[in-house]
Amino acid sequence: MGSVPPVVPYDPSMAEPLERMTNLLALLLETKTPLTLQQIVGELVGQYPVNAAAMRGAFERDKSVLREIGVPIEQQVLAGNQAGQTAYRIDRRRYELADLELDDDERRALQLAVAAVRSDESWGRDGLLKLGAGGERPSRAVAATVPTFEALPPLREAVAAKATVGFTYRENVRRLDPFGLLLRDGYWYVIGHDHLYGQVRTYRVDRIEGGVTVGVADAFERPSGFDIRTVFPSDPKLLGDAEQEVTRAIVRIDAARAALVAGEVGESAVVRRCDDGSIEVEVPCVNRDAFRSWLLGLTDHAVVISPAIVRDEVVAWLTALTAGAI
Amino acid sequence: MAVRRGPRPAPERLRRLLVMLPWLMERGEVSITEMAEHFSLTSAEVVADLELASMCGLPPFVDEMIDVFIDEGMVFTGVPRVFTRSLRLTAPEGFALLTAGRAAMAMPGAEPDGALGRALDKLAATLGGDGVVVDFGRPALADDVAAAAQAGARMAITYWTPSRDEATEREISPRAVFADRGHWYVLADDHRSGSERSFRIDRILDARPTGEIDPPRSVELPDTERWFAGDADIDRVTLRMPTELTWMIERYPVDSLTADGATSIAVIPVLSEQWLERLLLRLGEGTTVLQPERWTSLAASAAAEVLAAYASVTRNS
Repeated sequence: MGSVPPVVPYDPSMAEPLERMTNLLALLLETKTPLTLQQIVGELVGQYPVNAAAMRGAFERDKSVLREIGVPIEQQVLAGNQAGQTAYRIDRRRYELADLELDDDERRALQLAVAAVRSDESWGRDGLLKLGAGGERPSRAVAATVPTFEALPPLREAVAAKATVGFTYRENVRRLDPFGLLLRDGYWYVIGHDHLYGQVRTYRVDRIEGGVTVGVADAFERPSGFDIRTVFPSDPKLLGDAEQEVTRAIVRIDAARAALVAGEVGESAVVRRCDDGSIEVEVPCVNRDAFRSWLLGLTDHAVVISPAIVRDEVVAWLTALTAGAI
Repeated sequence: MAVRRGPRPAPERLRRLLVMLPWLMERGEVSITEMAEHFSLTSAEVVADLELASMCGLPPFVDEMIDVFIDEGMVFTGVPRVFTRSLRLTAPEGFALLTAGRAAMAMPGAEPDGALGRALDKLAATLGGDGVVVDFGRPALADDVAAAAQAGARMAITYWTPSRDEATEREISPRAVFADRGHWYVLADDHRSGSERSFRIDRILDARPTGEIDPPRSVELPDTERWFAGDADIDRVTLRMPTELTWMIERYPVDSLTADGATSIAVIPVLSEQWLERLLLRLGEGTTVLQPERWTSLAASAAAEVLAAYASVTRNS
């Protein structure tokens, strides 16, 4: 090995770990057949320690760094005269970035999109560099915070691969066929078929404790026509038991809040305009907790007109509060 | 240029190197300055990485060495075929690109049929499936205000301030529009106070362009974690509340939250007394103000006021 010295005299014993990892990567990418540790060490002459335990330790560290940055190292246990030994290689097709065939304006649009997102992680910028887009962050007049959690990338891959996931939520282990991820009101939700409950459930991603395990691909079919927006309605006042008799309430909003509320619920929900500037709006109240939370946020500017059962509930809630102080 | 402390860790350098090599290969020669800018590194870091690269290659390290040579600020490279293409996108990178694209599509001014839409289709084709939905649910005025920020157009607005429960007339020059924790805000020059301020767009009751155009000015968006926590001087309230209701306060900057079974103790900065009143009304009778004493009967008095409104509306209807 190394019969002709390179232009810069190469002293493998000086190899720093980073250099050795790069060489290991090149070797495993190029090899036609999987290589055992002994074969690898034989090729990367002098770069690994001689002591068996130290050699194995250094190799394991290199391997875990390569895997950490996303290098798909495959391993298999050999048979025949090398029976029991583990051999390694990297499948170039799995290693290399697929050609996305992005045009310049599309690459630029992605760059602007990443610049418009405020996140604690550099994931987006790292990805852009691989797509050939680097340089300064373009400044934008419009931006949005997108919270990131370690659980999100594996969940997204599981959604795409239709793989069942496992995670701990409120100290219980959940198994879920994930149909989609939704960012709404500053929170990420994962929605899917829960194996234990046998029905579609929604979980807040920031409440997932620890890691997410991802099972084999194509483990389930997403229901045809599944739309995450309808499964998870934008208005929390709509969430809940749709079988309930009372689903909508009429609320009087005084003049001081009329414009604000009309803007929020939409003109179509305004069912009456009064001479004093107050309005009456018809809003969903299926989820009574969400409805009350919205209503009481308006304090004495909002009063439930009908139906009587909802109005009575609110009065009872308030009466209990006044009693609490005595 | 990003300021860094200490040497970059090995995984980060290797990750960067594997992106640099195909990039260099494609160009053949490039200036160190351009390279540093592209990769957001210092020139010294670029040189260090290139020196490292020149030591790497395939056994027997002759024909398949990474051939790098630097002369008068220019980098000349011959990269062996082994590193001609970048490493695939990792799960976090793929997630971040898709999500950023979807997020930008949900922002004011997005063009559904534009370049971003096409880029997202190509990304989704490679990364697999759809399944990520970003919904910022923006208020009606967000698009107008964002357009004004782009154009530098001054606006006259009617703004409702919940902490004082009053609507005021102001003149603002919108600079940037941003979404954070479920709400849209505009960062603007507020000509009434003469300072830069953030306004929640759903509290702008009315906005009209004044016709004036202000010269552009770049702004720093407020820090996402701290900006609405206010300053340390504001009052705190200590609540004893049912643990099952703590979701109602998660949106606010809570100082501390300690759960003891079904009961939790929360210490929360109080933006205003009106704000605390609304919170207590929504939390209901299961919640008690422990401190300060002046607020222990706030919930009861607020509830009594709302009940009075119920009494009067019944009479009038």
